[in-house]
Amino acid sequence: MLRISASTVRDRWQLFAGALLTVTLGVALVQSAVLVLVSTGEPEIPPGTSARDAEQIREGYAGAATLLGMATPLAMFLAMFIVGSTFAFAVEQRRRELALLRMLGGSRPQLIGLLLGEAFLLGLIGSVLGMVLGVPAAWVQARLLIGIGLLPDGFSPGWSNSVLVLSPGVGITVAVCGVLAASYRSARVRPLDALRNTPRAARVMTAGRWLTGLSSLALTLLLIAAGNGTDLLLTLMVGMGISIVGSVALSALSPLAVPLVGRLLGTVLRTGVLGELAQANLRDAVRRSASTAAPVIVLVGLLVGLTGTLNSLARATGADLERITVAELVVTSDGAAAARIPHIPGVALASPQSQVEMAVTARYREEQRTYRQTHHSGIIAVDGTAYRRAHRLTPTSGTLDDLRGRTIVIGPGLAGEGILRGSVTARIGDEKVKLRTVARLPEVLENRSANFLVPRDLVPAAILAEAPTETMVQVAPGTSARAVADRIRAAGIGDVRTTAQWADARVEDEQRGTMGIMAVLMGMSGLYAAIAVINAVVIAAAERRTEFAVARATGLSRGQVVRMATIESTAVTVIGLFLGSLVAAAALAGFQQGGILAVPWTLLALLIVASLAVTAGAGALTTLAMTKPSATALVTARE
Amino acid sequence: MSRPAAAGPQASAGAPVTSVQLHQVSRHYGTGEARVQALADVTVTFPAGTWTAVMGPSGSGKSTLLHCAAGLDRASSGRVVLAGQDITRATDATLTSLRRRTMGFIFQNFNLIGSLTAEQNVALPLKLAGARPSRADVRAALAAVGLADRARHRPRELSGGQQQRVAIARGMVTRPSVLFADEPTGALDTHSARMVLRLLRRMVDESGQTVVMVTHDPVAAANADAVVFLSDGRIVDRLIRPTAAGVAERLTRLEG
Repeated sequence: MLRISASTVRDRWQLFAGALLTVTLGVALVQSAVLVLVSTGEPEIPPGTSARDAEQIREGYAGAATLLGMATPLAMFLAMFIVGSTFAFAVEQRRRELALLRMLGGSRPQLIGLLLGEAFLLGLIGSVLGMVLGVPAAWVQARLLIGIGLLPDGFSPGWSNSVLVLSPGVGITVAVCGVLAASYRSARVRPLDALRNTPRAARVMTAGRWLTGLSSLALTLLLIAAGNGTDLLLTLMVGMGISIVGSVALSALSPLAVPLVGRLLGTVLRTGVLGELAQANLRDAVRRSASTAAPVIVLVGLLVGLTGTLNSLARATGADLERITVAELVVTSDGAAAARIPHIPGVALASPQSQVEMAVTARYREEQRTYRQTHHSGIIAVDGTAYRRAHRLTPTSGTLDDLRGRTIVIGPGLAGEGILRGSVTARIGDEKVKLRTVARLPEVLENRSANFLVPRDLVPAAILAEAPTETMVQVAPGTSARAVADRIRAAGIGDVRTTAQWADARVEDEQRGTMGIMAVLMGMSGLYAAIAVINAVVIAAAERRTEFAVARATGLSRGQVVRMATIESTAVTVIGLFLGSLVAAAALAGFQQGGILAVPWTLLALLIVASLAVTAGAGALTTLAMTKPSATALVTARE
Repeated sequence: MSRPAAAGPQASAGAPVTSVQLHQVSRHYGTGEARVQALADVTVTFPAGTWTAVMGPSGSGKSTLLHCAAGLDRASSGRVVLAGQDITRATDATLTSLRRRTMGFIFQNFNLIGSLTAEQNVALPLKLAGARPSRADVRAALAAVGLADRARHRPRELSGGQQQRVAIARGMVTRPSVLFADEPTGALDTHSARMVLRLLRRMVDESGQTVVMVTHDPVAAANADAVVFLSDGRIVDRLIRPTAAGVAERLTRLEG
């Protein structure tokens, strides 16, 4: 059986090229992610790094690991999806050949074995290519993570022998899992199909497709209902869930959805004879239309849905920052300069927040167990009363006015952690002090919010003077904020921004890493989708050779046939784009409340242009190639 | 070797003289208005070691008869017995095993697997049956159809007649009791067609092979031992030791 698999793969490589490329890219991506992950496991901290910088490096490494951990499964999911749809289509194309094997005495298990054998070979070849490609890919990935600031400049991914086992494992698993459904389909092929000249219109909506489609659709509707709450975190999770499940649902149900939307498009298409033909083909060749539309649905649903969700979260974080900050201006300077701000005319209140270099060791409780942890970053020196007045943050316990002398406040960054009440130990310079916890602040949306607040009088003046400081400034009533900002600038204190500008910049900073990875993921999924679409268009065109010839013999010119096919593939793409946007809209609907909805219009426009270009281009080119021989030769030609 | 004629249901099931037997077989497709009766109450026996041609106008049900006889299509009612085994309600596994050992097929459009060489195509049914075919057996099968020197060629490097001979070698390599042929000369020129028919004749005469062949060509049918004529799903006539002229005359009458 493996021999037949091998010769089939060799002889009909066009059917497998797309799937092979997909597996190769998938393996390369997973391997490079793993190589980078392995190297980030043990952060290399250059000797002489301060404790705070070291903690930041560690946090960057952890962030990189999280992002890679999110990106890798998504890449595997996409790869499996594409291999699956390629093979499902390939089985349809090879129905006669498979039926012939049944006729010659092949059993159902043998046919399943044949396809799984092909998948195994494909996975193996793809893994070898992917392993080679994975080495430069790891370098590119590391460069990228350095570029977005998660990894330090000197970082270079190492090599781990574990990928020698892992990569083929991933490649073969992806290929075999992707082919599983198709192989069971192949077992349903009846021997009699080998005798029919035109294969019986096979049922496109198989039981498995119904099951996947309807259960995903039900889950999507459930999620839409659940996402109607006010909790932002819930909306976020639901939005991401809908992007994935909804895409799966609509792509599984695409043989139903595509003709349905196609009917709507029909009124536009029916204006010309070519359009009418194209629309008839669209309705008739359900499987072909669905194979082209499915990747577009997944691409748009997933990318626009996920990006929109993340952008909306960013907007919500910005809105939250603006909401809790009661100030018109934010001044960035060092601690010494910040001390001069209250003397500027028109300044009603200045609340300085200085990042100080110190260590705080707190005791935690987790499931009957207590342990200590030392923090070096996110420790902010503030004036308790000014801070209270400059923020709309009601402490969950205690009051900020007590923040004087040897005391500490647990900040929003650690609000969710189980820090024990009582006191913490702090080390400032060489001095070790015990600080009493006087208040706890509630959680906020921003990720990099303060871990601890300490009173300014606790910190030695020399350290404070050098500390990077942000000062929230309230302007006296009747004074223009612009005038005050000009005065602060004129005094040479530091950089002045409005609260809105400052909040946007902070959110953008926080989002930068996520967006970098999203960009890579988008490129990756876009490439995958392009492979899938081109694959579907090219494989389908091969079966239409005779159909095109008949169309020409009926009186259509070659140009008209090409235009007809192009109109058809464009229409299918428009339908896919529409259905994908529907998924994205469902995913983002929850953000409508509160006005934090951020639709990635640029991305959407880019996807629309790119998918239309790819499908129309692939359609036109293959049709041109397919109509090259003379029409009569094809109409009269036997198999 | 005697040439027993296609006859009524006189031979009992399981007797070595009977290879394929259809007993009151009907087959219809669709329901209601769209109902099509492809076979109506057909009873026919194809005795072992004979060659029977099935003829009739287009849509007369000759292909359906072949499909039902080979267990490729299920009879709506009636009974089909193949090599002593009732296959009317046989499971897929039983039918698969019958296809491996008891049946061989030849098609109008050859249906060779394009990616395999002639030799590999011939060896395929044996491999599917789990046997390890010896190269000598495969070569012998190819030599028997006069293609010993084409063993390593792929189908696209062979002429139509050569491809059909490879298909015959493939159909015969498992030494099946019945060979089903669906328009085996339909896509061939007269010279190649004559060669294929001569091969089939030799198999029946020398190896006692049973052949059931659907054709619309009176010349091809004239090579068979007997001809069964179908019209509207019923057997309407039989001819024993046919001549091309006799067959053509009956066909014209049927179509007229």
